[in-house]
Amino acid sequence: MSRTTAEPTPVPTAPAAGIVPPDGDDRGSALHARQAMRRLHRTEHRWAAAFVAAPVIGFLVFTLYPLGYALYASLTRWNGLTAPQFIGLDNYAALLGDEYFRKTLWNTAFYMIGIPIGLVLALLLAIALNRKIPGQTAFRTIYYVPVISSLAAIAIVWQFAYNGDFGLVNQVLSWFGIDGPDWLQNTATVKPAIILMAVWKGLGYSMLLYLAAIQSVPRSLYEAASLDGANGYHRFRWITLPMVRPVTFFLVVTNVIAGSQIFTEINIMTPTGGPEFSSASIVYYIVRKAFKYQQMGYATAMAVVLGLIVLVVTLIQFRLNRRNSFSID
Amino acid sequence: MTTKTLRAAALALAGALALTACGSGGSDDGGGSGDGESLTFMFRGGADEKAAYQAAIDKFTEDTGVKVQMTVTDADQYATKLQAAVSGNKVPDVFYIEQANLQSYVASGVLLDITDQVEEAGVDLDNIWAYGVDSYRFDGTLQGTPEGRLYGLPKDVGPFAFGYNKTMLEAAGIPLPDPDVPLSLDEFRDIAKQLTTDTDGDGAVDQWGTGLNVQWNLQSMVWSNGGDWTNEDRTEVTVDTPEFAEALQYFADLTTVDGVTPNASEAATLDTYQRWMAGEIGFFPVGPWDVSVYNDLDFEYDLIPWPAGSTGESATWVGSLGIGVSATSGNPDAAVQLATYLSADPDAQQTLVDANVQIPNLIDVAEEWAGAADAKPANRQEFLDIVQDYGRAMPASFTYGAEWYDELWVNIQPVLDGKQSAADYLAEVQPKMQALLDESNANAEMAGGA
Repeated sequence: MSRTTAEPTPVPTAPAAGIVPPDGDDRGSALHARQAMRRLHRTEHRWAAAFVAAPVIGFLVFTLYPLGYALYASLTRWNGLTAPQFIGLDNYAALLGDEYFRKTLWNTAFYMIGIPIGLVLALLLAIALNRKIPGQTAFRTIYYVPVISSLAAIAIVWQFAYNGDFGLVNQVLSWFGIDGPDWLQNTATVKPAIILMAVWKGLGYSMLLYLAAIQSVPRSLYEAASLDGANGYHRFRWITLPMVRPVTFFLVVTNVIAGSQIFTEINIMTPTGGPEFSSASIVYYIVRKAFKYQQMGYATAMAVVLGLIVLVVTLIQFRLNRRNSFSID
Repeated sequence: MTTKTLRAAALALAGALALTACGSGGSDDGGGSGDGESLTFMFRGGADEKAAYQAAIDKFTEDTGVKVQMTVTDADQYATKLQAAVSGNKVPDVFYIEQANLQSYVASGVLLDITDQVEEAGVDLDNIWAYGVDSYRFDGTLQGTPEGRLYGLPKDVGPFAFGYNKTMLEAAGIPLPDPDVPLSLDEFRDIAKQLTTDTDGDGAVDQWGTGLNVQWNLQSMVWSNGGDWTNEDRTEVTVDTPEFAEALQYFADLTTVDGVTPNASEAATLDTYQRWMAGEIGFFPVGPWDVSVYNDLDFEYDLIPWPAGSTGESATWVGSLGIGVSATSGNPDAAVQLATYLSADPDAQQTLVDANVQIPNLIDVAEEWAGAADAKPANRQEFLDIVQDYGRAMPASFTYGAEWYDELWVNIQPVLDGKQSAADYLAEVQPKMQALLDESNANAEMAGGA
């Protein structure tokens, strides 16, 4: 990605540099050929434009317009039924004094604890499953099953598992003489319980990406390191870990974005937002305001703030990652 | 830098957009407006309700030649889907409407004023529960009064009754409660204490007096104790009164002091419901929607009046869901006809009642139903007494939105766990609820004036 002082070649005259024959003595035929190329290109251009237009129009209609409208709606009092009423920044001002907004933002941030935990576990698993062990494929499949299962179904199953009374989790704990709490009804345990489930659910996906990354590390690096006397830990620390860094970066960014939108688990496992709103995420609160209390404008203002937070956090991540860029020639 | 920034921005936009997508999704199944031959009907319910409504509507189509296209959703998705249908200008011709949403839907011009058409159709409103009909009347200021214009008809009324495990009380040698005279709160607690025991001698309690959920059972105790959520105009939140605090404290003490319920946190889950069905709980609420399940349990149960606080009078709530007609329906006459049919037609009512999904809407049908020799539970009459005599609407049914009411439950757990006194908590939460009620009333006024 490094940029040197000058471009190596001047900008070519024909649109596609690769197809243009090198300038020779026979300038006439070259010109002729170039004109023929242009005619050909015109049709190609049209086709290209059509192909490009499809996603661009899709972006304009389904992305840019809703985004613009959301920005506008956040400046209105709107119940979702009648025309919005412009009220300026009142919704944003109200957000500042909304203790549930702060609380749900904090809860959402808290859920992010699951991301590093999940990544470490996924990497360790990927390394384990990269070895030649019996039943390797079966294990890989087992870890991937939660990924393809319906999140709603999983949330319901875990809700039963967490039941304080007859839930699987507490039954297992009771074998060890531990009297487990009623996980989802307790302010101290409800968030860790949901994190545990989310980590379990996402493990297979992260593991798969790590597995692919590990397998694409050139064997020669390990061989060279071994010759230099590197032990297993060294090879992991100085070869595997740096080589899978792009995957780690990708997973962190996408997990943070997905994590900031956590909703389904919360809504199903703790339909009232948990004891004292302790499990309610920001999106849960947005949905509740928008659809239960018909405060669409206010809810949209929260969505905009969340969008901005995600934007800033993502930019920071990209900035931090710049230092880690490297390339192999 | 630029490509990275762009990429980051795109990712972030994607994040933000997934949120806005909530607003635009789901509007595709609201159905179109009627074209003279067909209607769209959107409602909610489980499999058995769907089947019962399908049967009733097939009959309607047979009689009138009007086809009905049904859209059914889960209960918790209904409000969202309906709202999406409204924003997408695809309001179904006929649809369920919740009491608490009526005012905003009227103010937004979504609901048709059906007063005249219902009158012309000759519907005998006197033969439908007054509470049910009045729930959908709105005079521009107060909803639920007999004077207002009619914006819907009751789909049903849901009296929340109280029951007890007859088999358990008989086995314990406790005299059965009088179906006509409510127990006092002290008497109720005494019986509950006697019932809370370890029946198999393993050292762990496995039978409890009761197991109640604060969100659904506190109303009865507060009202029968002379307290209430608001004043009559619905302008002042009155949860910080001694009567209210006493009732909430009594409720919490059942668990933390008297120990006659499984335990505090379980009251919020399904557990007590399952324990009741397993025959481990003495007293438990019974709604008409529970009857089809409870009738299959392997113990006898029956209904009694709710235990009463200092007023000596039982109190409980009656739910209701309405059937409204879209103001933009292409075929309003047929739409009103369908709403009327579902609410008040004797045949349709019979179909729905036979499916055990509700009590009859028509008073004469209901009385016959309650007096039936094979009635189960035997004291079905209690359901009717609640609707006619002592049942009330939920505190937030007739206000513009229920946010002020929901606020009470959010931080109530410390009271139920015995870590905070009811009076302290209520004093703390009253100003918050008052602020939200003020806001809701202001919104109602603004919507009404718009």
